Amino acid sequence: MSSQQVSSSLRELLADIFEVAPEEITPDSSPETLENWDSFRHLQAILAIEGEYAVQFDPQRIPELITVSLLQAELEKKGVTP
Amino acid sequence: MQNDLERQDLRRTIKEAAARLDGAAALSAARTLLNASQRTTDAMFCASSLLGVSDVLVTQMGMRRLKTFAVRSVTLEPMVPFLATEALFAGYVLDLQLGGYGSYIDELLNPNSELATSKPDLVLVLLDIEELAGPLPELCASGRNPNVDLEIQASLDRVGQLLRTFRSNNPARVLLQGLVVPEVTSLGDVADANLPLSLPAAIERLNRGLAALCASISDCAFFDVDRVAARYGRSRWRDERMYFASRLPVSVEFFKIYAENLIRFVSPLFRACRKVLCTDLDNTLWGGILGEDGPEGIATGSSFPGNCYLEYQRYLKQLSSRGILLAAVSKNNESDVRETFNTRSADLALKLEDFVATKIGWNEKAQSIRELAKELSLGLDSFVFVDDNPMECEAIRRQLPEVEVISAPIDEPWRLTEVLARKPFFDTVFITQDDVDRVQEYKAQAQRTELERQSDNRDDFLTSMEIVCTFQSALTAPLARSVQLLAKTNQFNLTTRRRSAAEIEEFASSLGGQAIAVRSRDRFGDAGVVGLALARTEGDACLIDSFLLSCRVIGRGIETAMLAQIAQQAIRDGAKRLIGQFIPTKKNAPCALFYLDHGFTQTTADDSSSIFYELDLTTSLVTSPAWITLEGTQSHELSAGIVLSS
Repeated sequence: MSSQQVSSSLRELLADIFEVAPEEITPDSSPETLENWDSFRHLQAILAIEGEYAVQFDPQRIPELITVSLLQAELEKKGVTP
Repeated sequence: MQNDLERQDLRRTIKEAAARLDGAAALSAARTLLNASQRTTDAMFCASSLLGVSDVLVTQMGMRRLKTFAVRSVTLEPMVPFLATEALFAGYVLDLQLGGYGSYIDELLNPNSELATSKPDLVLVLLDIEELAGPLPELCASGRNPNVDLEIQASLDRVGQLLRTFRSNNPARVLLQGLVVPEVTSLGDVADANLPLSLPAAIERLNRGLAALCASISDCAFFDVDRVAARYGRSRWRDERMYFASRLPVSVEFFKIYAENLIRFVSPLFRACRKVLCTDLDNTLWGGILGEDGPEGIATGSSFPGNCYLEYQRYLKQLSSRGILLAAVSKNNESDVRETFNTRSADLALKLEDFVATKIGWNEKAQSIRELAKELSLGLDSFVFVDDNPMECEAIRRQLPEVEVISAPIDEPWRLTEVLARKPFFDTVFITQDDVDRVQEYKAQAQRTELERQSDNRDDFLTSMEIVCTFQSALTAPLARSVQLLAKTNQFNLTTRRRSAAEIEEFASSLGGQAIAVRSRDRFGDAGVVGLALARTEGDACLIDSFLLSCRVIGRGIETAMLAQIAQQAIRDGAKRLIGQFIPTKKNAPCALFYLDHGFTQTTADDSSSIFYELDLTTSLVTSPAWITLEGTQSHELSAGIVLSS
């Protein structure tokens, strides 16, 4: 899957977390573009993604995963196709 | 959740129900969704959909808004949607504000803090071991350092000081969370278990101390998070990775359970527990059907499966010991049930008398429960109903939605006590002596009613009651009780004069004065001080100033015994005439004929606002009913003359 597209399951998950319409979630979405993406929602997103795709992120990487494409790439690195 | 489609369906249902402002439908779908789905996203979705229509939930469903402030030293944010949804399922709209990490002392004590200015209904105090008892892990390392106990005490003193100071300035209810007993220590399992000064032992003591502390502060409860963690597995309770990375105290898999239990501990701070448990008999209190299997055929007793039912009976008996009223509601022949409680008593943990009331017959159970509510003067929202029959359960749910209905698992009788115990409706933060005594009080009242129903002859009934009246001075009743009776009694109150304590003292101490109180008890219980009379003899006439009786005991002849007592003392004080007065009020019609019924003659006109009656003591007698045993009549302390001369 290209990093230029956000998979629909990840998009819906993040839409729930950041309380926006799924269409608003793009690969470039980040704390800069989404008002609700604060450190609390970031943790919430990480917990939700870990639960949804049965993966665990390295805690040191967690604070760095602050765009949708970075999150998606990290998932792909773990062998998950979201 | 079976599949994602089902999940999406429920989410759509919630969204649509919220859009058309149907709070109940949205809530019910949210409950189904979150019982099946572990996803934090679903909790967030439910919380935001439902809180979006919180006004509707408050107005339609009578939910209560709880302005809540959490002071904490741990990360709570990811759990907030779960706290919100679990609160909604328990009937509360949680408006939750979180304090900063570690700023709890300022929040609690500073009158200008965010907490103080937000004027919360509820304050959650959620601290970890570093804040509550930081030095303990190190002090406990050897398992033999006596400073451990000093540190526990210092911690309790510090938290006590904090909460007491908070309480003196702020009326918000408080929930103080305890600590989870640590699983991993340097001493290891064996030393931890055997050394009294190990960390697990110390944390357990600290928790008990915090609980006792909460009990000493008004509107404050202790949240035993360790009990919850232990139930689901302490070793999995915390995800170490997320704890060390983000200070998250609970693993994501337990967010819902944590929230549900925290709310369970909050709830009794805001509402009273239910008070009555109505149980079915066949296939609920015992196994089998009495009408078909007969008293000898039903399952109860020490062998399986009777022991499952015996366990349920014991559980009910224990509920009764703490003040929950038991009622039997069963479609059966009453005589069969009586026979069963007699012949199988060795195999039953309950006696028929342990039930404050029984509704055994062929009436609709909804009707029986309505009658019980009336007889016990309790609202239907105080009732819990347990029955194995799904039809009966459904009928009660439909007809009496206020009643909490428990379906007894007929094929798995061993589960019944646990099903009951997991429900929060008997939860309470404290139990008073009054709660414990309540069962006895209701039982006595029910037995009196029952006996009265059975007797055709009033005198026989009253004789069988074995009533004893004890006369004593109104000053020692005690005086506060006498004043309370004067202030509260409306129905059987001949003059409705609200005399003060000083006035009662004057009656008791002046020459010819009488101030008598009467206590009554019968074979079913002690009703306490139930009657009061004030009278004064001047010259040859004794005037009864006040005469009243608690409405609980009207009609048993106690009023006649009181009048006889006054008459005798009046004669001793030199009176030849006893003068009674009746001042009609809106409420005291029940005693309008009292003096005429006792042989008095009316001396003033009917239409008067105050009617006088007279009895000639030289020719007429007032005698106490034969069925009442009298005590204290000879005690001359009742006579003011003696008080003065002594």
